This record gives sequence, C-alpha cells and structure tokens, in this order.
Amino acid sequence: MNVNADPLVEGYLRHLEAVAAVLPEYRRAELLAEIRAHLDEALRQVPAGDEAAVRSMLDRLGSPEEIVAAAADPVPAGQFFPVPPTNGLAIASLLFGIFWLGGIGSLAALVLGYRARREIRNSAGAQRGSSLATIGIVLGWIGIALLVLAAVAALFLLAASSTTTGTSVTSSVAPVPTG
Amino acid sequence: MEPGRARNALSQLRKGALEYCVLALLDEGERYGFELVRTLSEADGLMVSEGTIYPLLSRLRRDLLVETSWQESETGPPRRYYHLTDAGRRALADFSDEWTKFRDSVDALLQHKEKGRERER
Repeated sequence: MNVNADPLVEGYLRHLEAVAAVLPEYRRAELLAEIRAHLDEALRQVPAGDEAAVRSMLDRLGSPEEIVAAAADPVPAGQFFPVPPTNGLAIASLLFGIFWLGGIGSLAALVLGYRARREIRNSAGAQRGSSLATIGIVLGWIGIALLVLAAVAALFLLAASSTTTGTSVTSSVAPVPTG
Repeated sequence: MEPGRARNALSQLRKGALEYCVLALLDEGERYGFELVRTLSEADGLMVSEGTIYPLLSRLRRDLLVETSWQESETGPPRRYYHLTDAGRRALADFSDEWTKFRDSVDALLQHKEKGRERER
C-alpha cells in the first residue's frame, strides 16, 4: 500500500486514529479502513512527491475532528430514543408487596423498593420503574401494618379470654393469621 | 440578516438531504466509497468535506438502507461496494415525493418575495 509512503498522509492517519479513540471499536475500525482505502485511491491520482496536491487532497477529505464528529452523531434524524430498561429490584419489590408471605414479603418489598428507587434516581434517566417501586413500598407498609394490627387483635382476644376464663395466657401462643 | 445564519440553515438542510443523494446515486447501481464520494463532491455546494460521507455510509448500513460486499479490484486491494436494499429504495421514494413538494413550496415563496421587490422599483 502506498498510503504509508507519504509522510503527510501518515501524519493525517495517526491524527485520525487518536481522535477516533472516542468511537466504539467496531465503528472506529470500519471508519479507519474506509479512510485508508479512500487515501489509497486518491493518492494514485496524485503525482509522486507533489506535496501541494497531497495537501489539497487532505483538505478535501476534511479534518479528522470533523470526520469523527460526524461518526459520533448519537441520534440520527428520525430515530427515537431507546426506551430505558425497568429496574429489576422495583419489579421484585412490587411482587413481594403483593405476596405478603406472613410479613416477610412486606419486609422484602420495603428493602428492595427503597433500594430500587435509589438506583433509579442515581441512573439519571437510564432506568425506569420508580412508580413500581413506590407501589411495592406502599404495599410493604400496608403488609406491616396488617401484621401489627393482627398481632394487637390477637393479644386483645387472648387478654379477653384470659379474664373471662381466669386462666394464664403465658403458655399459649398468639395465633398469627396467614395468607 | 447575518450571513452565518443562512449558512447554518443551509448546513442543516445539506446534512439531511445528503443521505438521500447517496441513496439516489446507489439507486443507479452499486458503487464503492471513493467513487461515491468523488461523484458527490463534484456536485456544487452539496458537501463540505469528503471524509464525512464515510460515517454517513456506515449509518445507512446500520439502518439497513444499504448493504456492502467486497469485490476484487484490478488496480489495488479489494473494494467495499455499497448497494441499495429494498428498505433503502422505499426510503428514497418517500423522500423524493416529500422533497418535491418541499422544494416547490420554498421556491414559490422565495420567488413571490422577489416579484414583490421588483414591483416596488
């Protein structure tokens, strides 16, 4: 290849390679190969040793910065932004919130829900699911509240039955409703 | 109006239209990068620098509007040829319709203004 024979072209390619470092690997390789092929073809039309002609050829090609900026264009016209993925913990929180599991599900829903909301907030728009996590947290607190209410109700019932029958409650276990 | 403003508007238009010019050239038949670039750069005022066509070609390929294939060359290493896909042909047809309407409307309005100026004299 005569591309590497010309010092001006060689310098240009080195500059382009350095600037193109910001591009993803596959795109950089493709761009460099195409520009090399272009220079190879263009050099064949330039008389050997004609520095001015090589310069004007490189001018026509444009600066490496300009070319890489065109390659880095993140959103081509007419293309929509991709939908960000939903945070997995938010979904798990919602499911645990629905399946109470004798209060353990509610605890899990709270822990996962708060963690999910923190992750989503830190992702700055890259993740969705904040409302799912919030529903999980609300269900979690409702589940905890139900558990506490059930425990209090059971204690009252026991106290009531012990006063009417006069027997001790210390040996009996409070029945916790499940499901 | 400052000249920079008009230049900016034209640069936006050029950017949008250029990819359809590429598709239109490929509609005539497959071409390799250098050939395509030189044909486009001979059209007056269409593009600023030849090198920016390559990222554009890469994007058209990712969007499945063009395909590439390697073919032997008599004078040097194999060349990457670009050809239009069916999706590319459809995109070109859609753009051509809209462009004709757009161009006629803009022309009509610009000429209307010029005629008004002549009448004032």
